[in-house]
Amino acid sequence: MTFLVRTKQKISQFLRAFFRKRSSRIGIYGPPNAGKTTLANRIVRDWIGDAVGPVSEVPHETRRVRRKENITISGVNGHSITIDIVDTPGVTTKIDYNEFMEYGLEKDEAVKRAREATEGVAEAMHWLREDIDGVIYMLDATQDPFMQVNIMMVGIIESRQLPVIIVANKIDLPDASANRIKSAFPQHPVIPISGLEGDNVETLYEKMTDYFR
Amino acid sequence: MPHKCTQCGRDFEDGSATILKGCPSCGGKKFLYIREAQRHDDVLEEKSIEAIADETKQEILEVKPAPAKEVEVYDRIESIRIVSPGSYELNIEKLAQSDEVVIRLGKEDKYMVDILSMAKKKKE
Repeated sequence: MTFLVRTKQKISQFLRAFFRKRSSRIGIYGPPNAGKTTLANRIVRDWIGDAVGPVSEVPHETRRVRRKENITISGVNGHSITIDIVDTPGVTTKIDYNEFMEYGLEKDEAVKRAREATEGVAEAMHWLREDIDGVIYMLDATQDPFMQVNIMMVGIIESRQLPVIIVANKIDLPDASANRIKSAFPQHPVIPISGLEGDNVETLYEKMTDYFR
Repeated sequence: MPHKCTQCGRDFEDGSATILKGCPSCGGKKFLYIREAQRHDDVLEEKSIEAIADETKQEILEVKPAPAKEVEVYDRIESIRIVSPGSYELNIEKLAQSDEVVIRLGKEDKYMVDILSMAKKKKE
């Protein structure tokens, strides 16, 4: 009898594992120091009370793709979605260890950081190609959005027909302009937030529940 | 009405596209617009082109050399370029296409091809 019960459990477990729709993987992409990990940490803390990774003002703090699974987000509209949040290393076209030395890193450490950051970009692009169902493209609203890397990345995301929400981050800073970002990417929704202060993140959650279903 | 090369005096028919690339005889980049009547003044009256320019108050036209074209990012074959140890240039277009890694070393066209990354089985 127990044998039968156990077999039945095994089979149903197997079937569940097999047919369960995996939750959508939402990748947070963007140039270095846009605040990707800060936002990932906020999302994860708000909904499951955990954290994704450390943040710092030195670019390329995140050099490996990090993932938190099964986060259920609800908007005030009552919709909710379950997603995996994938925090990615900042994508850039140039990485030079000298940049890190300006932040006080020793040469050896800076060279190592540059090498890891390069691997990180390759890993982020690998994920984008195979494992991502939707993208939050993060931009620092105090910076020029018309950088070549942003245009290229949004183009790549569009060519893969992935839904993308553009986040204009750091709106708590005085020279931030979410409008400049909106005019750069009029074809996508742009949500201005402050990942650090938590300003307007509810709007982002609501947009996510609508957009990534 | 024609243009004259200020360097060698060669003249070109009006609207000639040749001058856009510089004078084919001497490589000069500056041309003066000359009225038909004065077309041969430089030879017949032994005036310099500059003198004619002063006389006619025409501005000398300078053809800007076409900027040396750098290879566009998307035309590059390498996915990563190692400029020097610890300094990298990433071709994210290439990285977005596949995992196959071609590395370019330094400024010259020296490449390293990661055969292992190309031998990996493609998913689907």
